[in-house]
Amino acid sequence: MTTATANPAADRSRMKGAALALPALLLLLGFFVAPVLSLLVQSVTEPSFGLQNYRELIATPTYATVFFNTFLVATLVTFFALVLGFPVAWALAVLPPRWAGVIFAVVLLSMWTNLLARTYAWMVLLQTTGVVNKSLMALGIIDTPLALINNLTGVTIGMVYIMLPFIILPMQATLRTIDPATLQAAALCGASRWQAFWRVLLPLALPGIASGGLIVFVMSLGYFVTPALLGGTSNMMLAELIAQLVQSLLRWGMGGAAAFVLLVITLALYAVQVRYLGAGRTAVGG
Amino acid sequence: MLLTFKTMGALRWVLVGLSVIVAIFLLVPVIFIVALSFGSSQWLAFPPPGWTLRWYQELLADPRWLASMLTSAKIAALTTICAVTLGLLTSFALVRGNFRGRETLRAAFLTPMILPVVVIGVALYAFFLRIGLNGTLTGFVIAHTILALPFAIIPISNALEAFDKSIEDAAIVCGASPWEARLRVTLPGIRHGLFAGAIFSFLLSWDEVVVAIFMASPTLQTLPVRIWGSLRQDLSPVIAAASALLVLLTICLMIVAALVQKGRQK
Amino acid sequence: MTNFKTTALAGVLASAALTPALAQDMVFTSWGGTTQDAQQKAWAEPLAESDGLNVLMDGPTDYGKLKAMVDSGNVSWDVVDVEMDFAIKAAEEGLLEPLDFDVIGRDDLDPRFTTDHAVGSFYYAFVIGYNKAVLGDNTPETWADLFDLEAFPGKRTFYKWSAPGVLEIALLADGVSAEDLYPLDLDRAFAKLDTIKDQIVWWGGGAQSQQLLASGEAPLGQFWNGRIFAVQQTGVDVGISWQDNLTTADALVVPKGAPNKDAAMKFLARASSPEGQAEMAALSGYAPTNLKSPELMDPEVAKTLPDAHEDTQIDLDVAWWAENRDMLADRWYAWQAE
Repeated sequence: MTTATANPAADRSRMKGAALALPALLLLLGFFVAPVLSLLVQSVTEPSFGLQNYRELIATPTYATVFFNTFLVATLVTFFALVLGFPVAWALAVLPPRWAGVIFAVVLLSMWTNLLARTYAWMVLLQTTGVVNKSLMALGIIDTPLALINNLTGVTIGMVYIMLPFIILPMQATLRTIDPATLQAAALCGASRWQAFWRVLLPLALPGIASGGLIVFVMSLGYFVTPALLGGTSNMMLAELIAQLVQSLLRWGMGGAAAFVLLVITLALYAVQVRYLGAGRTAVGG
Repeated sequence: MLLTFKTMGALRWVLVGLSVIVAIFLLVPVIFIVALSFGSSQWLAFPPPGWTLRWYQELLADPRWLASMLTSAKIAALTTICAVTLGLLTSFALVRGNFRGRETLRAAFLTPMILPVVVIGVALYAFFLRIGLNGTLTGFVIAHTILALPFAIIPISNALEAFDKSIEDAAIVCGASPWEARLRVTLPGIRHGLFAGAIFSFLLSWDEVVVAIFMASPTLQTLPVRIWGSLRQDLSPVIAAASALLVLLTICLMIVAALVQKGRQK
Repeated sequence: MTNFKTTALAGVLASAALTPALAQDMVFTSWGGTTQDAQQKAWAEPLAESDGLNVLMDGPTDYGKLKAMVDSGNVSWDVVDVEMDFAIKAAEEGLLEPLDFDVIGRDDLDPRFTTDHAVGSFYYAFVIGYNKAVLGDNTPETWADLFDLEAFPGKRTFYKWSAPGVLEIALLADGVSAEDLYPLDLDRAFAKLDTIKDQIVWWGGGAQSQQLLASGEAPLGQFWNGRIFAVQQTGVDVGISWQDNLTTADALVVPKGAPNKDAAMKFLARASSPEGQAEMAALSGYAPTNLKSPELMDPEVAKTLPDAHEDTQIDLDVAWWAENRDMLADRWYAWQAE
């Protein structure tokens, strides 16, 4: 044993490491991969054997529009959630515990409140006769109500709102693990604030940013409730369309085909990220 | 300098300002819901024409609301335990392991997040019908654990990656067994990640409605399923009252947690 | 290991949760909310008293769930409330049990809402609703008024999903007569809808339509009649026009392979009986599908129901819709997404 490798203890723990993923993997294989595969198989067997569902998917412009909408919304939501979430995560990491506690409490409180109720609240807040428009008009900032709902704006506001905590929590967890001395060292070496931010803090925080961004982007792709309530019909996203196909029209073959295409595109994007950003680690692992 | 509040200079006020704005953004709908729960308008007019406790009376008079809250809490708690335990083990494999196909495995664990929940719901339900798990608590928890797993794995493996392994090794050098070292050194070290994973898992289950509609049965009606039906059919402010009560409960729990922490520090 | 333990733990808790399950006689599934509460009061509770039949409430109705059950042969619903065009389509696809009209009395049932596989649950009409507080004396009377942007500027609301109703309204507004509606001239209907498309707010559920109307967000539009009365009863000043009201019904069906068929037929017999329909109508504001029910009802209530407006009524052709369901849905969502 001792002669086999230079560091047998490390080697053994590595093997153990692989086995540790087994319980989750078995659960996933048995209760996710198998059932979902059988549904995806229906995309080439229903209504009859062949690729007609995929042909229809490609031939129908509606589906292309819906795919485009889905990725557009996911991108917008991820961008705004990162831009708004980063300062909050940063503040949580550096503020005195008492203040940080208050902001943290607000984040948790909003997450804890029922998702459907919060989304409905946005509906009432953002509508033409809603509180936001009425307040802006009373303040004289606008003359005619803004269209804040049943369009891209509504979906983006509602979804950024839902997703913010999913960005803030992983990011602040990462920022907290960074040793402040690293930045002091940068300052001693003559780095300006700006340089220290771009060259030291941001790279160190990147794992948290990437993992939060990934959660939000991927979650947004398959999101159903908020787009259904706050979006307009011209911003229909894929989850809503698939829900229609599967639940209302009983066209499981077509629903399976749309889901399969979404899966392939997303995994391809993920592979690109892993390859070109070396992001396999940054994305999930850190 | 950028991670020490006192030496951040003017930047700290920018950060505080932005955080306060985002915090207000996060709070507005919550406050709005609480306000609506006391409003007399059935149609969520705001400001309401009058104030009333009627919705709270209706809420408390209907035992099904309380029952569905308890069902939701039970399923969410079990989901959290399963997802965090599995997620922790998987994270060790993904971060510390060094085997072929690790990157593929990472991607595989993300797929439940990508697929629209309705696809997972209908596929899993059809599968459960065949093996007799439909309408059972076990089936419900399995379904939600699968959805929650990526949300547990991501923050936990993220924290584990950032955790300095040499501290764990140091504990082993000082005589601790590898498991003891992991349990007593590494786990506390990645507690932020574990906490985030647990919260995500719990909330995912607590708020999930699409898969829940498939998993529901007469004896398993979770809160979101009830709220979904009520929102579509009645839009009753009882929903606002139920949410407001939960907000109150959350605040109480937070205060208790803060007091416990304070007591410990003394 | 831990996986095993947690699964075992979940299993133990599951069996603990399942043991006190009630002696189950049958399961009735509907859409939830007050409608299902009314169905429980009008149909399930009297059956418990008279026959000792224990009816468990499940929901909400989900067609995907229904299909999965029937496909697997493991059905847990006995009676389900569905839309009429779905009932016809589902019967064609073999998802439904034929009903036993020896147990269910068919003679008094409104033939418009009765098939071999379905009896009417409640019937309703699409009507024109408007908020008087916003519009004042300038009120819409006909479907064409909903398309008149000069007389009625601003947002109007229509039903979001591909279902009988909006396309018919567009054609009626464009001058097509009731007799010539079917088969629908889709190009003409969509062209008419295009003239007001950017002023349409879509409602996805009854509650949302009420919220839009009551708040003045969309002060006029197409509504389910029962919803307008509910808004009126909360003291909001809204009006209704029954001109060319369009009717259809929800249907009660039994999924193929339902475990308690006998109990299901008994339940349907009660639900479609004159008394069952009269009570349901009084509780819900929808109309009874049993022709004998109106005489059992309080005349004050009966006159607010769609069957008091049959002179200006048009029946939606659900059979035509069932036949063309997929094609119509494709066109509908493609047009909406444009």
